[in-house]
Amino acid sequence: MAVQDGFGTGFLGRVVFQVKSSLRSSPLIRLFILAAAIFSVLGFALSPAQAEDSEYALRIQVKDQVRTSDGKTDNQPVPGVEVTVTDSSGLVVETGTTDAEGVLIISVPTRADYTVSLNEATLPSGEKLDSRTPAIQNVLTDSFVTKTKVITYFTGESQNVSQSGFERVAQRFSDGIRLGLILAMCSVGLSLIFGTTGLTNFAHGEMVTFGGIMAFVFNVTGLTFLGFLGFIPGIRDDGTFHIFWAAPIGIILGGGFGWALNKGIFGPLRRRGVGLVTQMVLTVGLSIALRNFFLSRFEGRTRPFADFSLQKAWDLGPINITPRDFTVSILCLIILVVTALGLRFTRLGKATRAVSDNPDLASATGIDSEKVIRLVWILGGCLAAAGGIFRGLDEQVSFDMGGRLLFLLFAGITLGGLGSAFGALVGGFVIGILVEVSSLVVPTELKTAPALVILILVLLLRPQGILGRAQRVG
Amino acid sequence: MDWNLIFENTLKGFIGINAVYFAIAALGLNVQFGYTGLLNFGQAGFMACGAYGLGMTAHYFDISFWWGIPIGIVFSVLLGLLMGIPTLRLRADYLAIVTIASAEIIRLVVRSVKFKTYFGGSDGINGFSDSFRSLGNDFGIEEADEYGFWPFKFTGRELWTLIIGWLLVALFGFVVYKLMKSPWGRVLKAIREDEDAVKSLGKNVYSYKMQSLILGGVIGTVSGMIFALDRGSVQPDNYSRDLTFYILTALVLGGVAKVSGSIVGSMMFWGLFTFMDNFLRQVAKDPVSIGNFTIMKSTQVGQLNFILIGITLILLMVFRPQGVFGNRKEMAFDGH
Repeated sequence: MAVQDGFGTGFLGRVVFQVKSSLRSSPLIRLFILAAAIFSVLGFALSPAQAEDSEYALRIQVKDQVRTSDGKTDNQPVPGVEVTVTDSSGLVVETGTTDAEGVLIISVPTRADYTVSLNEATLPSGEKLDSRTPAIQNVLTDSFVTKTKVITYFTGESQNVSQSGFERVAQRFSDGIRLGLILAMCSVGLSLIFGTTGLTNFAHGEMVTFGGIMAFVFNVTGLTFLGFLGFIPGIRDDGTFHIFWAAPIGIILGGGFGWALNKGIFGPLRRRGVGLVTQMVLTVGLSIALRNFFLSRFEGRTRPFADFSLQKAWDLGPINITPRDFTVSILCLIILVVTALGLRFTRLGKATRAVSDNPDLASATGIDSEKVIRLVWILGGCLAAAGGIFRGLDEQVSFDMGGRLLFLLFAGITLGGLGSAFGALVGGFVIGILVEVSSLVVPTELKTAPALVILILVLLLRPQGILGRAQRVG
Repeated sequence: MDWNLIFENTLKGFIGINAVYFAIAALGLNVQFGYTGLLNFGQAGFMACGAYGLGMTAHYFDISFWWGIPIGIVFSVLLGLLMGIPTLRLRADYLAIVTIASAEIIRLVVRSVKFKTYFGGSDGINGFSDSFRSLGNDFGIEEADEYGFWPFKFTGRELWTLIIGWLLVALFGFVVYKLMKSPWGRVLKAIREDEDAVKSLGKNVYSYKMQSLILGGVIGTVSGMIFALDRGSVQPDNYSRDLTFYILTALVLGGVAKVSGSIVGSMMFWGLFTFMDNFLRQVAKDPVSIGNFTIMKSTQVGQLNFILIGITLILLMVFRPQGVFGNRKEMAFDGH
């Protein structure tokens, strides 16, 4: 663990020192220094990432051939189609689904031979591939004229509807469990912060992204000044860390980020008695600033981690799952169980739940609620970062990976009961499965819509959520 | 550095069409947030209602453009009911969560391929604004001609939208001002200050909140219409979460619970934004760097601007939550 400690004292130590020494000065200076510290460390770390811009990508587009009545072609994009890219040895580079424009961009390590295969079961019912563009297409090294190679699939109307009922349900369900576990992990912090301080944190999505991007910085970009650690297994001389190192570092930094937000911004505001709505609007500002900061440094592309991006999927009866995704699920489960047990049985966990239940009563019984709140921010930051890293392994890293989950996180914690940690676990998990499974019925591009329906139904029927305590919430 | 150009664009930014639709949307948000204390984080959804109301007249209904106005308003009333019914009896955060979620789902639905027949998919809708523009010609403002004097030079097309826009700002400013002076408005403010006290006076708080949410939403809808008319098109991705957040920033900048706050705030927002944008673009013509580390490339100017918006909002909330011109006593949220 020498690496993390060494880095921890360097990075965190600097922030601690700066925050501490400025605590006595004006709030403006304190805020400024905090922001400068976070942003400059992140900014310097990320700058090499944008300098080397030599990544190759496959742009896969799926189009539905439609002819208008006057015979002109009017091709329509086909979203939600699953496409898998494998390299010449048969390892899966990446599996993804096309977006609303019918486009999927997959980053590939180098110019090489690849096989692109489209999962015909995921085409909209009634559509089949045009015979000119078979489901499996080979990309040859020489066909990379530019860095991005475009592969186009055409579909047309077909008479026989292809359905593989049970397999599709099973596959969606397994994807849903993975998303649910990640959502559950990210929501614990959101719900506990709400429970202990009353704050709805609209920047929580950015805390998720923070974890993913920090792990990316260590894993892919590399910090050259840490190259001297190259003698340690898993750390290379160019300062890049294996994901087994990068992930825990990202999680620790995520905890530090949560701690810094509480220490630098929300703690002082609480002491000054600033109202919750003011703080909530502040989190909106924080979310805008952070997301655009990530965008300017990380840029708009989605990018994979360096390790485990090439994998051959296991064929387990009705479902296909890569060892990476399987491991991610297991690790999520372990982290969640440990968190739940910790909250249930340790003294600090009990204190956390007590403060979350009733801050005044908890204070009256001698619990140091500020200490608990600090713990909750750190724990929430760690779990959000972990969620971001796992999501990044699952779906690649992007600047708004967390922002796009935010609404699902809210739906999850409302379903589980705002403020309840166990509720967040259950709610996030249920929402994750629901979203993936619902894509069997609703178009993939709208698969998050059922979460809104659930959100509204919960508020109408049981506003305290599944595990929330019935109380006046109005 | 071309200060002349920066100066000219900044002045135009202050009174330009962006400030207009922001001002109208901020007025709506002010009714909800400033006066009633309702956290509507989905104003972009209401704006989309207006824009798509207009757009669908050409794209789907194939009827006269003017029908778009009532259609948009009906959409936004329905949206207000959808957001309000489950949440207005509950604590304020629930409304924030549901509004942010609804606006996002609206954006996904209108850009989806599934509903392309109705909403035009991710390409949006064009070609619905001809009747509006030709009306300008009837009033003697020729679309292609240039009007005004330096630095306020506009084409006839821009000028026509601007005139109508500022008239609407004045109209809604007046309406909101009068309404908030009325007994009805005083009930809204009382709800903001102490909901239970208002309940104990026998007022139907739920109904008042709903009226406030819908009124603010309908004003937002009109803002969306101006936005769409100016562009001559409706693009689904313009109506994202960020649009609401920027309008909120403009509102808070000017000052909540004040009519002038919404209008001045929007003008300041766009004046400052245009200034920073033009200034930074000129600075970043060549990448700015210290040693190996690139601080800013020209492609990053937009993002840097938005980072500054976020930081402005943070600083406002920390140091002056009532906004530049707001009155601390009227400071809507968080009386308690």
